Amino acid sequence: MMTPLQRLVSTAQGLPTDRIPAFCNVIDQGAAELGLSLREYYSRGEYVAEGQLRLQKKYGHDNLWSLFYVGKEAELLGCRHIIYADNGPPNVGEMIVKNPADIDRLQIPDDILTHAGFAEIRSCLDILGRESAGRFPICAYITSSVTLPAVLMGMEKWFDLLMNGPVELRDAWLEKCSDFFRKEVAAYRRAGATVLIYANPFGSLDFISQKFFDDVTIPWMKRDLEGGTDGIVYYCGGARMNPVIDQVINETGIGTFYLSPLDSVAEGKRIVNGRALCGGVINDIQLIDWTPARVRAEVRQMLADGMPGGRFFFGTIVMPLAVPPDNIRAMIDAVKEFGAGNG
Amino acid sequence: MIEDIRAQYVNAVYDTDRQQALQVVQEALGRGMSAEDVMFKVVVPAIEDMIASVEQRHTNLAQHFMASQIAAEVTDMMVPLFAKAPEYIGRIVIGTSVGDFHGLGKRIVSGCLKAQMIEVIDLGLNVSAEKFVDQALAHKAGVIGISSMMVHSARDENAARGVRKILKERNLEAHIRIIVGGAPYNYDEELYKVVQADAWAHDGTAAGPIIARLLREVQP
Repeated sequence: MMTPLQRLVSTAQGLPTDRIPAFCNVIDQGAAELGLSLREYYSRGEYVAEGQLRLQKKYGHDNLWSLFYVGKEAELLGCRHIIYADNGPPNVGEMIVKNPADIDRLQIPDDILTHAGFAEIRSCLDILGRESAGRFPICAYITSSVTLPAVLMGMEKWFDLLMNGPVELRDAWLEKCSDFFRKEVAAYRRAGATVLIYANPFGSLDFISQKFFDDVTIPWMKRDLEGGTDGIVYYCGGARMNPVIDQVINETGIGTFYLSPLDSVAEGKRIVNGRALCGGVINDIQLIDWTPARVRAEVRQMLADGMPGGRFFFGTIVMPLAVPPDNIRAMIDAVKEFGAGNG
Repeated sequence: MIEDIRAQYVNAVYDTDRQQALQVVQEALGRGMSAEDVMFKVVVPAIEDMIASVEQRHTNLAQHFMASQIAAEVTDMMVPLFAKAPEYIGRIVIGTSVGDFHGLGKRIVSGCLKAQMIEVIDLGLNVSAEKFVDQALAHKAGVIGISSMMVHSARDENAARGVRKILKERNLEAHIRIIVGGAPYNYDEELYKVVQADAWAHDGTAAGPIIARLLREVQP
């Protein structure tokens, strides 16, 4: 039997596999596995690693995550206030950029890998690497330069600056965010992450216009990715990406696309046309209320749309804590049942 | 003339070109167009045009943001120039649900509502169910708008469901409606029923006509 990493690599290369890979973004769920609150759970890399390993054993999916929560990137850049909830992911509680002077003052750390704020992530990655012993793809979540300002100053202020300028300030800010991306992605690679989720909602035409995508997003994506696209997965945070896939392949060389649940899987595969690996993504917000039978039927249909031609895998988006464990099991079991014989 | 001005304004809004949109308005006033006509024959139809385009899935968040921002700005410029004080359709209190700190959607809604002569009381972020109801009563608002960007903050017992519970307990359901919006509702179009809201809007610009309908429902 193939290991999950062998399964993913073979699928990406268009080679025969036992079945398609099943990616499942269970993140916050790890806390309950250890009997911890989310605040306690995310305080130590060893807890997150243990949670990931237990969840993988429980559900049998094909990936492990080093993601704590999205606000971790803000903490690396100086945010000191994270707001925890009992029933969902932590939120950034302090915008570290409140005005233009803050952009000027913000210092990008020279070496993320040795940065104190990265220590628990590194600890998590060390444990995942040791325990998985090369059997599992290990995922990291890294926000694109064009999207990171939304995490650091809030969506409203970022849209204000993007749309109303001044352009010089916008570009100075983007340059810092792009520098941070490049250093962060290098740190994750050195720490052992093998699948690098390039989170870029501002690279979806649901967020911005084609003209903005051409003039702003694409040039900054190219700068972000100057260090190479190995392991990079294009992900628009749940926003649709089918309209930009062709351009992203042609202009950046990214080789994996993690669709939106709102994208047509069949259309996505047609656009990719064998040039890249394509992930079909289930609408895991609806997964909360579906029955296991409905989950099975939805997975079956998605795989029927996505598997022809190969180079296809299954994925989820946010996996809310409210999704019942029985539905997660039904989902992964269905991928294994209907995803057999890929390629 | 009005058709030309409207077309120029709509194009500027679609291009997210604030300066051009404001210039179109100034030129319209310079050509003798009344402030009322600028509002109700140019600005409001531009929002309606965007709502129609949304249904065809041809618009993006940046356009909605700018359309709202420009509409609010033009409204602030035009209302003082009206021959008589405008008649408001009604009033809404709006905020994000408990545990939710994402204000963009609420801001887009507010700008569009302002242009459509619906008064908006912004309660800010992380608003409890009790505060929503208390403030709706204090401001005599007919609608409570609850914005949520995350699944757990949309489904929380202290979000729309909590507001419904209080409205029932205080026998206020005939007087106050609940509308919800935000990302989770776009991924599950039945979610508004799960959280016991009266309606939902798939984006900020689309909220206006739905809120206007809800206000009419509760007006004596």
